[in-house]
Amino acid sequence: MTQPIAGAAARPEASIVERDLLATLNPLGRAGHIWIASLVGVCLLALVAYIYQLASGLHVTAMRDYVSWGAYMTNFVFFIGISHAGTLISAILRITNAGWRRPITRMAEAITVLALMVGASMVVIDMGRPDRILYLLIHGRLQSPILWDLVSVTTYITGSFLYLYVAMIPDMPILARFARERGRSPRLVRLYEILSLGFRETPEHRRRLTRALGAMAVIIIPVAVSVHTVVSWVFGMTLRPGWHSTIFGPYFVIGAIFSGTAAIITAMAVFRRAYRLERYLLPEHFQRLATLLLALSLLYGYFTLSEYLTAWYGGFGSDSRLLALLAGSTAYGTSFWLWGVFGLFIPIGLLVMPSRRSLTAIVTASVLINIGMWIKRYLIIVPTLETPFIPAQAAGITPHYFPSLVECTITAGAFAAFLLLFTLFSRIFPILSVWETLEDADEAESKVAGERASRHSSLAPAGLTILLIAGALTSVVPWARASAQVQKPVPRIELTRSMVDSQDMLVAKVSANGRPVVHAVVEFSVTRTFGVMTLGQDTTRDDGTARVGFPVGLPGDARGELKFRVTIESPSDLIGPPVEVVLAGGAPRVAFIDNVPRALWSSRAPLPMVATIIFLLLCVWITYAFVVIQLIAMRRLKEHA
Amino acid sequence: MKMPRREFLRAGLLAAGGLTAGTVGADRLLGAGAKSSGPRAAATLALTADGELVVTPSAEYAALAQTSDEVRRGIPGRRWVMVFDLAACDGCGQCALACAKNHFIPTDREYLRIFKMQDSPDLAPYWFPRPCFHCDNPPCTRVCPVGATFKREDGIVLIDNERCIGCRFCMAACPYSVRVFNWSRPNDPPEAHTRGYSPEWGYPRRVGTVEKCDFCADMAREGKLPHCSSHCPMGAIWFGDENDDAVTNSAGKTVRLSKLLRDRAGFRYMEELGTKPRVFYLPAVNRQYPAPNEPGANHGNLPRGGETQSAQ
Repeated sequence: MTQPIAGAAARPEASIVERDLLATLNPLGRAGHIWIASLVGVCLLALVAYIYQLASGLHVTAMRDYVSWGAYMTNFVFFIGISHAGTLISAILRITNAGWRRPITRMAEAITVLALMVGASMVVIDMGRPDRILYLLIHGRLQSPILWDLVSVTTYITGSFLYLYVAMIPDMPILARFARERGRSPRLVRLYEILSLGFRETPEHRRRLTRALGAMAVIIIPVAVSVHTVVSWVFGMTLRPGWHSTIFGPYFVIGAIFSGTAAIITAMAVFRRAYRLERYLLPEHFQRLATLLLALSLLYGYFTLSEYLTAWYGGFGSDSRLLALLAGSTAYGTSFWLWGVFGLFIPIGLLVMPSRRSLTAIVTASVLINIGMWIKRYLIIVPTLETPFIPAQAAGITPHYFPSLVECTITAGAFAAFLLLFTLFSRIFPILSVWETLEDADEAESKVAGERASRHSSLAPAGLTILLIAGALTSVVPWARASAQVQKPVPRIELTRSMVDSQDMLVAKVSANGRPVVHAVVEFSVTRTFGVMTLGQDTTRDDGTARVGFPVGLPGDARGELKFRVTIESPSDLIGPPVEVVLAGGAPRVAFIDNVPRALWSSRAPLPMVATIIFLLLCVWITYAFVVIQLIAMRRLKEHA
Repeated sequence: MKMPRREFLRAGLLAAGGLTAGTVGADRLLGAGAKSSGPRAAATLALTADGELVVTPSAEYAALAQTSDEVRRGIPGRRWVMVFDLAACDGCGQCALACAKNHFIPTDREYLRIFKMQDSPDLAPYWFPRPCFHCDNPPCTRVCPVGATFKREDGIVLIDNERCIGCRFCMAACPYSVRVFNWSRPNDPPEAHTRGYSPEWGYPRRVGTVEKCDFCADMAREGKLPHCSSHCPMGAIWFGDENDDAVTNSAGKTVRLSKLLRDRAGFRYMEELGTKPRVFYLPAVNRQYPAPNEPGANHGNLPRGGETQSAQ
């Protein structure tokens, strides 16, 4: 497994390695200062833009009700993607004990931590109410993919910090010595000493370190995979064309590793030139990463084909509209195809022939992939939001999004912050792992295989037998009394429910002055929440009765009672206010029946979900604790010594 | 026992820091605090109004804390439901106008939007008014990370703008594009400030939070029809209680819901999405008005049309 780099024979001695690698910490020249000053400048501009956004609201962005996510979410996905660099290169290569990883691991791990910090901040910048961020902890609902994001990203950041740090421990004594020799500030020396945990080259120290590193390298891989899977689920768990896709998890994970690897190659090229590390970052390293990048670009191409070809061939209405926008003659279509050419095919072309790929070709491919992957994420987020199920165009609206100046400034600031942090990191800690590079040199000499790091390895109708006589007449007709001289007839209405010709009927018996009223038109109705529901009209027969069908199954009140209304429509001398009668026979009210899977939208998460998430987290955090215990043990060793 | 805000916040932080079980614990703690009266409830509310209101731990706030549970539960025994009669809708837009007026909706958004639909070139166009569907299986409510949007027992989906963190995940999750956002600082008229805030009416507005059609939960509480329904000149918007099996329109006509849906072949929009909307439609057959493209029709000249909204 351990493959010493070719040409290791010409490797300089340990002292020279140290000198060369630590030289990266030497005071910056003019170009360096200009670089840092300009990055700080862009960050400050972005800060001003953010303060302006905070003061004015998100109106200063180009985001509106249809396209409610834009550049910030793109940045979020992009940076989280970049962060996968460290995991793959460092952890996988460490587990497989690939010797050529050594000059790359530090850079990769630093990219992970820094990209995560920048990526996570993008979500906060995208929030309408960043002042309520603590609600995520106070009112957090585990059913929301955002909580999954919060939990996994937090776990990932913690793990990455730990991983980066553990792998730096053996460098710390070297750094302390170096800083002392160079007369650097005592505070810096003290920082290195504290961070060193008293590490020395003793078998016990080594054993503890190897254990800690091995455990971290293993656990960080599932954590990293979970993070980008969960990021994809923020889109994948919605009912939106182009997002609700079963392959979104792996698609995003591959995309992340793809862009992460390209980011590492780009960073390597930059540091190689800026810090004159040509002797350590050999073309061989670029070549090996290029092979990996080629494999990942083919994989990403394959996932992209699967995603869009099935959508196009199947031709769901919503999918078709999305594809017409995404791949048709629109700005998005142009971008999509340009991405295909410049972000995928050209890089593949540059990488496909191992014998013909120059360093320039590899770096060009990496830069194209990085730019392309930002655009690809934008194309995943924005066009879907522009093609809702109910076409906005049907209401005369054409949703459109293009980042505003504020968004562009903040995006620039995010990139500047990433580069600045990376630069500053490389000013304090060597960008190449000194101890691992030395180890590489040792191996080259003795050809003794290094130790393997890991072996870890929801109405019932009322009974018809109920025949209830109505309650007494409720209304006294006042105007009838007033005009008593005219002998205006005072109608009497009795309402009953009875079986007529074996039909369930509502029967009103109308009489006036003790005699049945014939040929009067009677309207039956029943009161409901917002009004009176007409049941029907009937004309009184010789016995003065009129009838309509009983509203079987109509829900009554809590006691199953229905409030009926009987109104005489004609003859006009009988018209009066309605008579209200309460009768039993309404269907009993149904209690609230939850016939939908409430668990997902209730305020509390279902127990199995909580248990699963806690179990997974415990696995990870116990591993972290194990690593920390190794570090504490290391520190104790020093005290005993 | 008075809990100073900072300490309470820290308690929340620590609890959540102790993994997810802690978060659930903090939620329960807060719920308990809101139900019990006294100084503890006041402490809870101090947090709810965090960052925007001047916090006065007064009895007024304590009262709000007690009713918030009622607001979240809804009106007991009710299952509100809306039915749009597409055969009667002539696209006049009076519903949207009344809605906007009574909710003090700014000109850049609509709770009730009228679409001119034409399912295929061979089929006749029709007007399609779209409020919030108040789904029984709401995708928006699922994804809310803080429980700011919630499903009530009376079927209404509401938003607590004092809890919303503005992540807009619900906007992305709603397949009907119902939800709108307070992109800029609200400019509510003075009338909007007369009765304080409640999720049941959603104003005064809060910047950086999501809002939408609320089925006029406050009107329902008073036994009144929603503004859109009561203002429809065609009587095309029926509203009622499913448990009552009756819906009423602006003409004051009340009909049996089950019969209406059965006789008129009612449907729900995009049933296949599985969201189980509480809004039904009656197909646009035997129209009582000229179709959108026929002479004499409303040519989308809605009093409040989407036309006035630009992307920027």
